[in-house]
Amino acid sequence: MMKKAIKYILAIILVLFIASNSIYFKKLSDVKAYAAKQFDAAKYARNYLTTQLIPAADKAPQADELLALLKSSPDTAFKTYSHGLDIGNIRFFMVQGQGTVTAVDENDIYILTKNKQALKIAIEYVFGNALRDAPGLININDFTNTMDLNNIAAEVDKIVRAEVLPPIKSKVKTGDKLTFAGAFELNQEHINLDKIEVIPVVLKIDK
Amino acid sequence: MMKYFKILLLVMLAFASCQNRSGSTKQKKIAIIVSTLNNPWFVFLAQTAAARAKTLGYESKIFDSQNNTALETDHFENAIADGYNAILFNPTDANGSVVNVQKAKKAGVPVFCMDREVNSPDATSQIFSDSYSGCVSLAKDFVQTLNKKGNYVELLGLVADNNTWARSKGFHSLVDYYPGLKMVAQQSADFDRNKGLEVMESILQAHPNIDAVFAGNDAMAMGAYQALVAAGKADHVKVFGFDGAEDAIQAIKDKKVSATAMQFPKVIAQTAADDADAYFKGKRDFPKKLPVAVELVTYDNVNDYIAYGKK
Repeated sequence: MMKKAIKYILAIILVLFIASNSIYFKKLSDVKAYAAKQFDAAKYARNYLTTQLIPAADKAPQADELLALLKSSPDTAFKTYSHGLDIGNIRFFMVQGQGTVTAVDENDIYILTKNKQALKIAIEYVFGNALRDAPGLININDFTNTMDLNNIAAEVDKIVRAEVLPPIKSKVKTGDKLTFAGAFELNQEHINLDKIEVIPVVLKIDK
Repeated sequence: MMKYFKILLLVMLAFASCQNRSGSTKQKKIAIIVSTLNNPWFVFLAQTAAARAKTLGYESKIFDSQNNTALETDHFENAIADGYNAILFNPTDANGSVVNVQKAKKAGVPVFCMDREVNSPDATSQIFSDSYSGCVSLAKDFVQTLNKKGNYVELLGLVADNNTWARSKGFHSLVDYYPGLKMVAQQSADFDRNKGLEVMESILQAHPNIDAVFAGNDAMAMGAYQALVAAGKADHVKVFGFDGAEDAIQAIKDKKVSATAMQFPKVIAQTAADDADAYFKGKRDFPKKLPVAVELVTYDNVNDYIAYGKK
C-alpha cells in the first residue's frame, strides 16, 4: 500500500515537472516589444519612396533617350541603366518624361512622347518589383529574410495605388499632357519594346 | 656551394609541395543531395549540377532524399564521413533540414542550397528561384485571363517547403485585390502529379463549378488537368502551373494549360557548382541569398522557351 502511494507521488511529481517545463510565461510588454522589433515593411517602403525612389526618379533618363538607346544599342542600355536584385534575364529601368495621352482603358494610359514613342503607363496592375529594383539602391545582403524584400515591393506598390493613381484615374482623358516618372521591366534575352508598361511613382496632368 | 645547393633543393621541394596541393583540388568530391528524384525537374537540377562539377574537374555523387528528412540526414552523415568537400543541397524541409546544414558546417563542409531555402544562416549560400515575384507575374495573367471574376482552386506544394508559401503568397498578393475571384478550395498535393490528380478529383466532387486552377508546380497542374479531362471540364477551366517543365510547355502550345512560370534550374545548379569551385579556391564572401528571376510563359511567348530554360 505504502509502495503504491510512493509510486503515485513520484508519478505526480514527474507530471508536474514535465508540465512546468512545457509551459512558460512572458510579460505581454516583452512580447509587444519583440513584435515591434520585427521588420516593418510599410515603414521601410514609405521611407524608401520619399528618400530614395523619388530622388532616383528625378535623375532617371528621359524616355525618348532611353528608348532610342534600347533600340540602337540594347547592351549599352542594359549595362548603363538597368538594375535587378535577381540574377537572370529580368531587369528594371527608371524612366521619366512627358507625353500626350492617345487613349485610356481600365488598365493603362497610352501616351506618345515628344519624339512620337508610344508608351503605356499602368493604372491598374501596379504590382511587382519594378519600383523596388529599378533604382538599384537596395542591397539584398542587408536582408536575411527574403519575404521582407517581397513585402517592401508590395508596400511601395500599395502606396502608389493609394496615392498616385486615384487623382489621375478619375480625370485623365485623351489629349491631356502628362508628366511621369517610374520604372519598367524588360527581359534582356527577349527585348520587346512594344510591351513596355511603366509603373508610375510620379504622374501629373500638365495644365 | 653545398649550402646553396641545399637551399635550392629546399626551395624546389617547397614548390613541389605547392603543386601537389593545387593538384589535390582536382581530387575534391561534391555531394549532390536532392529532395526527390521522383520529379523530372529535380532530376534535371541534380544532373546539371553533377555535369558542371565534372566539367570543373570534381568527382560527384547524387543522393535522393525521397522527400524524407531522416533519409536526408543519413545522406549528410554519409557524405561527411566519406570525405565529400562540399554539398550542393536541395532541401526537403525548410526547418527540418536545418540540422543537416548545421552538421555540415560543424564538419567544415560548405553547403550551397539549390532551389529551396533552409531557414538558417548556416548555409554558405542559397541560390533559388524568385518564386514570389514569378507568381506575381503569373497572377496578373491569371486575373486578366479570367477577366477579374470566377471561382478557382489552389493546389499547394509541400507545406513544409518555403517555395510553397512564396508562390502562394506571391499569387495572392495580387489576386486577392479582386473580390470577383473566389478561391473555393485550397489543398496540398505535395508537388506530386498523382496527388494533384487525386486531390483535384475530390475537389471537383464538392465544387463542380470552377473556372481556374492555380497549381504550385507543373506536375500538380498536369495532374489537375487530367482530372479536368476525366470530368469533361478541361475546355472551360484554365490551368496555371509553375516550373517550366517539358509537358507543361507542350501543354501551353496545345492550349491545354494557360500559363506557367519558367524557372532556370540550369542557372541554379551551375551557379551552386561554380560557387563550390570558388570556395575550394579560397572565396568566402558569398551572398547568403541569391534569387534567380522567373519568367512568365503563355501561349503568346511559348515559342521563345524550351523546358527548364530559354531557347
